[in-house]
Amino acid sequence: MNIGWYLAVSALVFCIGAAGVLTRRNPVVILLCLELMLNAGNLALIGFARMWGNSQGQVFAMIVMVVAACEVTIGLGLIVAIYRRRLPIDVDELRELQG
Amino acid sequence: MPLSILIWLPAAAALLGALAPRRGSYPLTGWFAFAGSVGALGITIGEIAGFDPGHSGLTHVTDQLWIAGLGIHYKLGLDGLNLFLVALTAVVSALAIGAANRRRWERPRLFFLYLGLAESAVLGALMAQDLILFVAFFDLMLIPFYFLTGQWGEENRVAATTKLVIYTLVGSLLMLAAAIATGVLVSTNTAHPLSFALSDLQNAGGIGAGAGLSAGSQEWIFLLFAAAFLVKMPAFPLHGWMPDGYRAMPLEALAIFSGVLSKVGAYGFLRIVLPLFPQASVHFQTLMLVIALASILYGSVMAFTQTNTRLILGYSSVAQLGFITLGIFALQPQGAQGAVLQMVNHGLVTLALFLIVGLLAARAAGSVDLRDMGGLALRAPVLSAIFLIVALATLAMPGSSNFVGEFLILLGVFRSKLAIAIVAFTGVVLASVYMLRTLIRAMHNRLGTRAESREIALADALALVPSTLVILGLSFYPQLVLHRSERSTAAAIAAARATAQPSQTARAPLAGASAPQPARTSTLGAGATHSGATR
Amino acid sequence: MSVALAAARLHGPHIDWGGLSPILALLGGAVVVLLVGLAPRREVRRLVASGLALVAFAAALGCTIWQWDASKSIVSGALRVDDLALAVNLILVSAGAATVLLSWRARASGEAGHGEFYALVLTSTAGMSVLVAAQNTVSLFLGIELLSIPLYVLCATELHRSPSLESGLKYLVIGSVGSATLLYGLAMIYGATGSTDFDAIASAIASGGLASDPLLLTGIALVVVGLAFKSSVAPFHQWTPDVYEGAPTPITTFMAVATKAAALGIFLRFFDVALVSAQVSWAPALAALATISIVVGNVGALGQSSLKRLLAYSAVAQAGYLLAGVVVSTRAGARATVFYLAVYLLMNLAAFAVVVARERETGLGDDIAAVEGLGASRPWLAWPMTIAMLSLAGIPATAGFVGKLFLIQASADGGYTWLGVVIVVGSMVSLAYYLRVVAAMWMRPGPSLGATEAASPYPAIAGGSPEADPDAIGTSTPAAPPAGDGGPGAGAREGFQPEVVGLALAAGAATVFFGIVPSPLVDLARAAGNSLLGLF
Repeated sequence: MNIGWYLAVSALVFCIGAAGVLTRRNPVVILLCLELMLNAGNLALIGFARMWGNSQGQVFAMIVMVVAACEVTIGLGLIVAIYRRRLPIDVDELRELQG
Repeated sequence: MPLSILIWLPAAAALLGALAPRRGSYPLTGWFAFAGSVGALGITIGEIAGFDPGHSGLTHVTDQLWIAGLGIHYKLGLDGLNLFLVALTAVVSALAIGAANRRRWERPRLFFLYLGLAESAVLGALMAQDLILFVAFFDLMLIPFYFLTGQWGEENRVAATTKLVIYTLVGSLLMLAAAIATGVLVSTNTAHPLSFALSDLQNAGGIGAGAGLSAGSQEWIFLLFAAAFLVKMPAFPLHGWMPDGYRAMPLEALAIFSGVLSKVGAYGFLRIVLPLFPQASVHFQTLMLVIALASILYGSVMAFTQTNTRLILGYSSVAQLGFITLGIFALQPQGAQGAVLQMVNHGLVTLALFLIVGLLAARAAGSVDLRDMGGLALRAPVLSAIFLIVALATLAMPGSSNFVGEFLILLGVFRSKLAIAIVAFTGVVLASVYMLRTLIRAMHNRLGTRAESREIALADALALVPSTLVILGLSFYPQLVLHRSERSTAAAIAAARATAQPSQTARAPLAGASAPQPARTSTLGAGATHSGATR
Repeated sequence: MSVALAAARLHGPHIDWGGLSPILALLGGAVVVLLVGLAPRREVRRLVASGLALVAFAAALGCTIWQWDASKSIVSGALRVDDLALAVNLILVSAGAATVLLSWRARASGEAGHGEFYALVLTSTAGMSVLVAAQNTVSLFLGIELLSIPLYVLCATELHRSPSLESGLKYLVIGSVGSATLLYGLAMIYGATGSTDFDAIASAIASGGLASDPLLLTGIALVVVGLAFKSSVAPFHQWTPDVYEGAPTPITTFMAVATKAAALGIFLRFFDVALVSAQVSWAPALAALATISIVVGNVGALGQSSLKRLLAYSAVAQAGYLLAGVVVSTRAGARATVFYLAVYLLMNLAAFAVVVARERETGLGDDIAAVEGLGASRPWLAWPMTIAMLSLAGIPATAGFVGKLFLIQASADGGYTWLGVVIVVGSMVSLAYYLRVVAAMWMRPGPSLGATEAASPYPAIAGGSPEADPDAIGTSTPAAPPAGDGGPGAGAREGFQPEVVGLALAAGAATVFFGIVPSPLVDLARAAGNSLLGLF
C-alpha cells in the first residue's frame, strides 16, 4: 500500500487533535486530543520506518509512547489538584491570568 | 602619561569619594570629584604645553584589542583636533563640579559620582580612536545625565529626562548600526580582517581614504551618523528634547551638558564622518549647510523670543552649533579650524553663562525668568562686569576669540558657498540682538518686584572668575588653539576636500591627503593676529 | 534516557562515562535529593535537600569544565559532547544553581516538598543538558520532554495559589501542543531523509538535493513552530506572559534563562548541523519570525505594569535577537547567540532576583510599584536591577551592549543587514519600558514615604549658590534615607535574605564586568561556535 494513505490518516488524526485542543473546553478532553496529536506523529513515524525499512522510526515511536504517558499523568494530576481547589473545570473560566 | 589615566581619573576620584567618610553629616564626595577633575585639568595643561604644533598624527597612542572577535580596539590618541576639546572638558567639568560643591545636594555621593562618570565618558569619547569605542563612550556619557536630570532636576524632570534619553539614544543606536555596517563593509570590500580602528578604516587596503566603502553605502551611513550627531548638538529639526531638558536639568550639570556634550557631536563630524565618508560628505554638503543655517536662524529667533534664561541659552546653543556645523561643512581649512576654535569658545562662554544664570536666579527669588529679573546690576558692579564680558564674547565682539572663530568659519563658507555665507552673517547680527536683550533685561531696566541686587559672593566668584579669565586669555591669544589644531583639522577634512576639489575651481593647489601646505599656516596666523590687534 | 542507554548497551559499545558525567551528576543528584525529601524533620529536608541540590549542580559544573574542549559522540551517536553543548551546559547549570538559591525561602518549595521540588529542578536541567547535546531527533524529543514535564509541575508548585496551578495547566497544554507539533515535524524530516541522525540527515539533504522537497520543508516548518513554542518566539509566545506571571518567581527565573538557553542551543545545533544545507529555505522564515518576535515583544512590553509580564515580553523580544545568530548560519552567528545567551542569563538573573526579593519584602507582588523608590531605600537591590535594565536595553559598559554588537555584526556579516537594523530599532523601542523601571526605582518616591514627604520629595533648588534660599538648605539636606527597609507602608514580610541580594549583586557585577572585559565570555562563545564543524 502506498505510504501516502498512512500519511493522510496520520495528518487527519493530527488535525482532529489540534482542532480539539483549540475548541474543546474540558481539560480532560484536551489531554485526550493532545494524545491524538502525539499518536499521529507515531503513526507517521512507523509508516516512514516501514517505508525506509529501518528501525529508527520504531524506536522513536516507542519512546514517544513513554513520554506521552508521562505527560498525561502530569496533566491529570494538575487537573485533580485544580479540582481539589474547587476551581471550575473549564479552561475558559481559568481567568485569573488575563491571557 | 597614558591617556587612560586622564580618562578615568575623574570617575575614579568620584568613586573613591563616594566611598569616603562623611565630614559631619555631609559626605566629602564633591571635593573628591573636584580633585579628580582638577587633576585631569592639570594633565591636559601639561599636554597642551608639551604639544608640538608641527607634529601631525596622534600622540600618546594607547592601542589594545578590546573585543578580539570583532576587531574592536581600546585605542586612544591625542592630536590637535581633540586636544583643546579635552582641555575644554577638563576646564568646564572642574569649574562646574567646583560650583556644584557650593550647594547641598540630596544623595550627594551619587550626584558627584554621576558628574565624575560624565566627565570620564566625555573624555573617552573625545580621545577614542576606534569607531565602536567612540559609540560606546558616546552612549555612555548620556547615562549620567539621565540620572542627574531625573533625580536632581527641576519640575517635570522624569518626563524631560526620558525624552532626552530616548531622543539621543535613538540617534546613537542608529549610529551603532551604521558603525558596525562600516566595519563589516570595509572588511568585506577590502578583504581585510574586521577592525574598527579609525586608522584601519580610513586606510583600508592602503588604497586611500574612503576607498573601502562605495558611495552608496557611504551615503546611508553618513545619514545615520549625522542624525546621531545632530540630535546631540542639537540642530534645528532634531532639537525636540532640548527645551524640556534644558528646563529640567540642574544648572551645574547643564553647564557640562551644554558646554561639552553638544561639542562631541560636532567633533564627531570632524573625527569620523569627514575622514571616513568623504564622498557622502561632499554629496550632502549643501544639505548640512542648510541645516546649519536653519539652526542659526531658528535658534537666534527663538532665543530672542524666550524669557526663560535657560531656554535663551539653549536656543543660543542651537544657533552657535549651527555656526560650528557651517564651518565644518564648508570643507575648507579655515572653516574647520574656526569650528574647532568656536567649539572651545562656546563651551567656555556656556559654562560662564550658566553659572551667571544660577547667580541671577539666586537674586530673583529662584526664578530663571527674565521677567522676574531686571536691575540686578544696581549693587553688583563686578557681577555685571563679568556678565558683560561674557555676553560680548558670546555675540562675537571683534577682539574676542569668538570673533576669530566666527570670522574663520564665515571665511571658509565664503570660499565654498557664497550665498549661504551671506545669510549666515545675519546670524551674527541676531546673536548680538538676543544677547544684549538678555543682558539689559536682566541687569538693567527697573528692579524686578521680587528681585534684589546683591554683589557676587567670593566663593561664587571662585568658579566664575577663572572661566572669565580663560575666555579673556583665549581672546588675547587664540593662536594657542589655532597653531596646535591646524595640521589635524586640515588632515580631517583632507579626504573630503580631495573629493570635492575637482568640482570647484582650484582656489588653492590640491592639498596632499595628509600634509597641508605650510603657506596656509602663515596666512592664518596673520589673520588671527590681525583680528587680535583690532581690540 | 534510560532507553537510549539500554540501546547503547545492546550494541555493546564502550560507555563514555566522562562525556555523560554532567548529565549523570544532575540525574544522580535528583535521585539523592528525592530520597532526602523523605527525611523526618522539616528543617533537615529544607537545608539538606537544597544543599545537596547545590552540590549536584556544582558537580555538574565541575564535570562540564572537566570535559571542556571534548569533541565526541556518545551513546552511539545519540548525544554529542562538544564545546557548544558544554558552553550551554555551563549556562544551564548556573541557572539551575541560581534557582536553588532563589527558592531557598520560597513558598513553592515548601508546599511541594523540598525533596521533590529540587529533584524536579535537577531533572529539568538534565533534560536541557540532553537537549543541547542531542545529535539525533530521538534524543532531541526526549530532551525537550525531559525538560518540559518537570517544568509543568514546577509551575504548579504553589498548590494553594490558583494562578500557579492555572499556569501549570496552561503551560502543559500549550507545551504539549508544541511538543506534538515538533514530533510531527521530526517524523516528516525522518520520512524525507530516512534517518534520525543529524549528520545522516545533513548528508541526505545535501546529496539527495532535498532542499526544496515539500515533505522536508513541511517538516522543517513544523519543527520551527514546535521549537518556537518552547523558546517563546512570537507568534507562538501567547503563553509566556501568563505562565511567567502565574508561576512561582524562582521558577519563572529558571524558565526565562535556562529554557531559553536550551531551546536556542538546539536551534543552533539542529539548524546549523542537520539542516545546514537547506539554509536558503529556512533562513528567511526564521528571520521573519525573529522580526515578528522583536516587534511583538517590544511593543507588548510597553504597557505592562507587572514586572514579570514586562520581563516575559522582554524575553519574547530577546528571543528574536537571539534567533538572528541562528538565521545567518555562520560560526560568527553561533558565537553571537551563545555569547548573548550567557549575557542573557546574567542580566535576567539580576532582574528576577530583585523581583523575588521585593515580592517577599513588600507584599505588592511583582507590580512595578514594588520597586518604586528602591534607589533610596534599598540601593543594593536598585543597582543590580538598574544594571540589568540598562544591559537588556543594550547600553555600553554592560554586557548587553557587547552581546548586541556581536548579534548585529553577525547579521550584517551573514547578509542579513536588515535584521541587524531590526534589532537596533527593537532596542530603541525597548528603551521606553526598561527606562520606566529605572525611573521608578530612582526618580519616584518609594511606597514607604509618608504623604507629607511625598508631596515635596525634592525641594526645587534653582539658585547657583547657598544664598539662593537659606531655607532650602535646611530642608533639602537629606534627613535620612527615607525610613529604610522597615518603613510603615513597606509591610516587610521578610527583610533579610542575603542569598537573593547576593545573587542579584553578583549577577549585576558580572554584567558590568563582562561589559568592560568581555574576552572570557567571547572565548567561551567562540569555542562553542567553532565546534559546529559544518559552518565557516
